[in-house]
Amino acid sequence: MMASNNEVLSNKVDELYGYVQERCLWQFYSRSWDRSENIDGVISKATDMLLGKTPETATPTERLHMADAKIMVDDFRSRFPWIKDAGEEEVRELMRELRERLTDIAITSSKNHELTHSLY
Amino acid sequence: MPMVLLKCDKDIPDRQKHIYLKAPDEDTRSYLPISNAATIPGTLSERGCAFCGAKLVIGGVLKDTIQMIHGPIGCAYDTWHTKRYPTDNGHFNMKYVWSTDMKESHIVFGGEKRLEKSMHEAFEQMPDIKRMIVYTTCPTALIGDDVKAVAKRVMAERPDVDVFTVECPGFSGVSQSKGHHVLNIGWINEKVATMEKEITSEYTMNFIGDFNIQGDTQLLQTYWDRLGIQVVSHFTGNGTYDDLRCMHQAKLNVVNCARSSGYIANELKKRYGIPRLDIDSWGFGYMAEGIRKICTFFGIEEKGEALIADEYAKWKPQLDWYKERLKGTKMAIWTGGPRLWHWTKSVEDDLGVQVVAMSSKFGHEEDFEKVIARGKEGTYYIDDGNELEFFEIIDLVKPDVIFTGPRVGELIKKLHIPYVNGHGYHNGPYMGFEGFVNLARDMYNAVHNPLTTLAGIDIRTPAQVQLKEAA
Repeated sequence: MMASNNEVLSNKVDELYGYVQERCLWQFYSRSWDRSENIDGVISKATDMLLGKTPETATPTERLHMADAKIMVDDFRSRFPWIKDAGEEEVRELMRELRERLTDIAITSSKNHELTHSLY
Repeated sequence: MPMVLLKCDKDIPDRQKHIYLKAPDEDTRSYLPISNAATIPGTLSERGCAFCGAKLVIGGVLKDTIQMIHGPIGCAYDTWHTKRYPTDNGHFNMKYVWSTDMKESHIVFGGEKRLEKSMHEAFEQMPDIKRMIVYTTCPTALIGDDVKAVAKRVMAERPDVDVFTVECPGFSGVSQSKGHHVLNIGWINEKVATMEKEITSEYTMNFIGDFNIQGDTQLLQTYWDRLGIQVVSHFTGNGTYDDLRCMHQAKLNVVNCARSSGYIANELKKRYGIPRLDIDSWGFGYMAEGIRKICTFFGIEEKGEALIADEYAKWKPQLDWYKERLKGTKMAIWTGGPRLWHWTKSVEDDLGVQVVAMSSKFGHEEDFEKVIARGKEGTYYIDDGNELEFFEIIDLVKPDVIFTGPRVGELIKKLHIPYVNGHGYHNGPYMGFEGFVNLARDMYNAVHNPLTTLAGIDIRTPAQVQLKEAA
């Protein structure tokens, strides 16, 4: 039986998500707002790169997210060759799903009690 | 049932919340060991105290600073020279130890005069040294000695000196982690931006959370020099007091040990807008990744690639020699916290080593999120482990080598299991490319050392055996 488009997409996101969980420290910063800023920032820069666009690097934070995203995108391309064939719509969908999953595990459903402490 | 109640913990069942065995299709949304919590009565913790976290881990590393410990003499010795952090100025920090040597009468009548006298004495005995950190300890905190007032008086009398105070007695937190926190936050509040240094490169960074264990900082510094990056301050490996006052001048904070030093990186980001980049400095793949990220941030990618190529050419063949011989080795990591997540994938990727159990003395839940995400299924993840638990875990996972500190290391040696010092190293540095070859060599020497097995053979004749060994 052929897998549905949703299953195929979900399997692809599984691979990307597995890579990020295992390799990327930026998802695990100290507080929920740091994690949110990093997840949104890195995924945004990675999306640009996967779509062949040059990411904005006007601010130090943007340059930081670009540096983290570049390694990730390079690894995505070498480990998951199917990503090179993904069209714009699919790239956006993959990265949107990836962002959602990371936000869930690192922030929304995290059991880390320190995430919402107002001070560092 | 992934949270594990070990047999030895049957009388302290709350320990189950601190020990996790990773099973397929699970993640940290379902199970996360409780950590950075008070040690459960009945468990014999391996933890250090909060004062130790401030002095032994961070402050005591500095190469130009008197470390005045305001307390009984034992607090000084036990946080001196047990960590191996050399310096490039002759190891000043490891040659000397300073204490106010508080006795009963000083506790009864107050210790401020004694502290003031000791501070003057220290500056007079060491006229070239103009910087000092004063630490309170349990008794001097309890009697309420006002060390900040004393420091002000001394600085008023000696305009050329600068003194920082750390009020973090041993009882002030559940582990040494509290000491990291107090020193980080105190320093950013009181000392950062009180000095400016000459900036010599357009690429500037602080390297945070690396303590020059057996030369880690000095090895990595050779990379930054080759890349033309100025390290404004090292927090605190081979570092100086005044460089740490200039942290606000850097364009990037690169963080290795996020547990001991993430706080100051966060505050530098919040107060000065300096971004925080976390990297792993142990392991070939990780080190290359870290260098690539730093170079991408500064726009000097080509320089980074050249450096990585040079280092791979020089060290990778040696690493591969060890990998061939270490493949399949089962390793346990029982250290402070971050080395669990720094090492578990790097030894797997670079050496083919399988990590089967990990225990953290002072890690927080953030550290367990990282290590469980990186670690394997079937591996034990333990917070604040104790000796009986270690015995039981050893029986369950049968490690070939254990990376831990000297105290637990002595226990392990008696079990005739190879041990490598995971805190101070056997023959480091362990960071960087060359460093990871050193780690591999020490692991290889430990695993293949015939003495470990030979020492377990009782060569006495039965008639000579008067007492059977207890263990």
